[in-house]
Amino acid sequence: MSFEIKSDDVDVAAIMEAIRKRIEEKKKGLYTDEEIKEIAEHRLDAVLDAHDFNPDLIKDFRTDPARWNFLFDPETIYRSSRGPVGKVLGALRRVLRPIQKLFWNPNPMIYALSRQSDLNNYYVHLLHNLSLELTRLNLEVQDLKNRNLQLQGRLEMLARREKTLETMVVYRDDDPALKPKNE
Amino acid sequence: MTMRLGFVVQRYGLEIAGGAEYHCRLIAERLRRHAEVEVLTTCARDYVSWANHYPEGEEDVHGVRVERFRVDRPRDDGRYSEATARVLGEIARVEPGRIDPAVVRRTTAAEASAWLDEQGPYCPRVVLALRERQDRYDALIFFSYRYWTTVHGLQAARRPALLVPTAEEDGAYRLPIFPPLFAKASALVFNSPEERAMLEGAAGRALPGEVVGVGSELPTGMDPEGFRRRHGLVAPFLLYVGRIDRNKGCAELFDHFLRYRRESGSSLRLVLIGKDVLPIPDDPAIVPLGFLSDEEKWDALAASLALVMPSWLESLSMVTLEAFWAGKPVLANARCDVLRGQCRRSNGGLYYATYDEFREALSLLERSAGLREVLGRNGRAYFEANYSWDVIERKYLDLLSRVAPEVGRGEAASPAPASPA
Repeated sequence: MSFEIKSDDVDVAAIMEAIRKRIEEKKKGLYTDEEIKEIAEHRLDAVLDAHDFNPDLIKDFRTDPARWNFLFDPETIYRSSRGPVGKVLGALRRVLRPIQKLFWNPNPMIYALSRQSDLNNYYVHLLHNLSLELTRLNLEVQDLKNRNLQLQGRLEMLARREKTLETMVVYRDDDPALKPKNE
Repeated sequence: MTMRLGFVVQRYGLEIAGGAEYHCRLIAERLRRHAEVEVLTTCARDYVSWANHYPEGEEDVHGVRVERFRVDRPRDDGRYSEATARVLGEIARVEPGRIDPAVVRRTTAAEASAWLDEQGPYCPRVVLALRERQDRYDALIFFSYRYWTTVHGLQAARRPALLVPTAEEDGAYRLPIFPPLFAKASALVFNSPEERAMLEGAAGRALPGEVVGVGSELPTGMDPEGFRRRHGLVAPFLLYVGRIDRNKGCAELFDHFLRYRRESGSSLRLVLIGKDVLPIPDDPAIVPLGFLSDEEKWDALAASLALVMPSWLESLSMVTLEAFWAGKPVLANARCDVLRGQCRRSNGGLYYATYDEFREALSLLERSAGLREVLGRNGRAYFEANYSWDVIERKYLDLLSRVAPEVGRGEAASPAPASPA
């Protein structure tokens, strides 16, 4: 007698193989469940630890934006940093601007770089606010975990107490010394 | 000459509806047809506290003579939990079924013995009684390797002894006291080839014995329509039978099932039968029916689309075999080697390890009535070939005649079926 049932109609191992292939097809280029779990378990240490978090980040950023971002306006590409000579050079570039425009159109580039500089400002604000919120949530989660532990401890203590009381009742019933003497 | 058998088990009673104890009762009642059977056990009914519940002394349970002895001390949860962390690692205390292999490797036999004392049921009277009267038995049969009564009883045994380990993949079998215990038994009665491979891996050598398992108390008829009517179930449903517990994989099942419904728009329901020790999501798609009679369970199986078995710690899963007999496919947790093996060997069920596999397998079962029918037919044939009582009894009698050749083999002397691959 064989322990294994052979069926011509169905092979479970083959069905499961087909199911796994189908899943892989669907998930091509996407993260697997395990990878997503692993990513989710990574702690954002630099951002989430309250003591590492700098609440003055935005203030620093506003005080000295050149440290954080590049500065760009429509005149930036014509300026020069060479003092009085530079000023003359800048004036000359502006005079020659129409001729320069015969060779290429700098406007899209000026627009893109100006926009990028503004976006950088927004990103810093956004990241700062997100970090602040994450840090706050992290502290709240920590607080909830502690409360959960406290409650679990109290629950275990009550369960032990209940069990002890139950045991005492069982023993008392069986103890002949505690039975009424007229029995 | 009629064979005389002594059973040793940690609990025994009609109220104990599942697990190794129920398994033991079914085997004792079946072997009673071929031998004089006595059961030595404790007065405990609850497997957590081991509090004395049954009166001490003799009782006749379905024609089997049972003698119960008082447990000397109930389990102290706190001390047991600490001992578990000491020998299996902190993770075992938090997540039953998981262990820290480095901690297990470091554990000494003395520490493992101390853990066993804490686990219980601490009942030296069973062992004393066994020592005194074992000569009246031709062979002994011990159930569940991990309990105090089995470890100390088997060490005291002078007669040929069968051990039915009912081991799960929970790592406890790796503790240093157990491999010598497996060697002490004359033969082991495994529930599955996976269990055999697991214990042989721990013992580091082949162990004598057979894969046998257990039969079931089968109904004479099933009433699926009546079940639907009684419980107001119109839509097709997936059935779960067993304790509704996180350790049985139910939390994951709820997540998977509700997500499946959201993503697929399916009208499938999940019907739960069993005592709940885990909060059940308040969703109309999940229908908890509480503890039901055996008759209702069989009707539910007949009415269901399939049985789902989300547990990853199973030694056999009798309800899976019952679903096979009822001709229903099974959707099992692939992380449980035994369940995966049963599905593959029978060609009677599908399995899942991730949500994606759960979704695809359930969708296939829900859509294809033809597949359900073929899987159900295969499951039934598998049950008939391996788990019908004739087969189980013959295997036990064959094993007993091998370990105690001087005694007769009782009435059923036909050869046992071949060992599983």
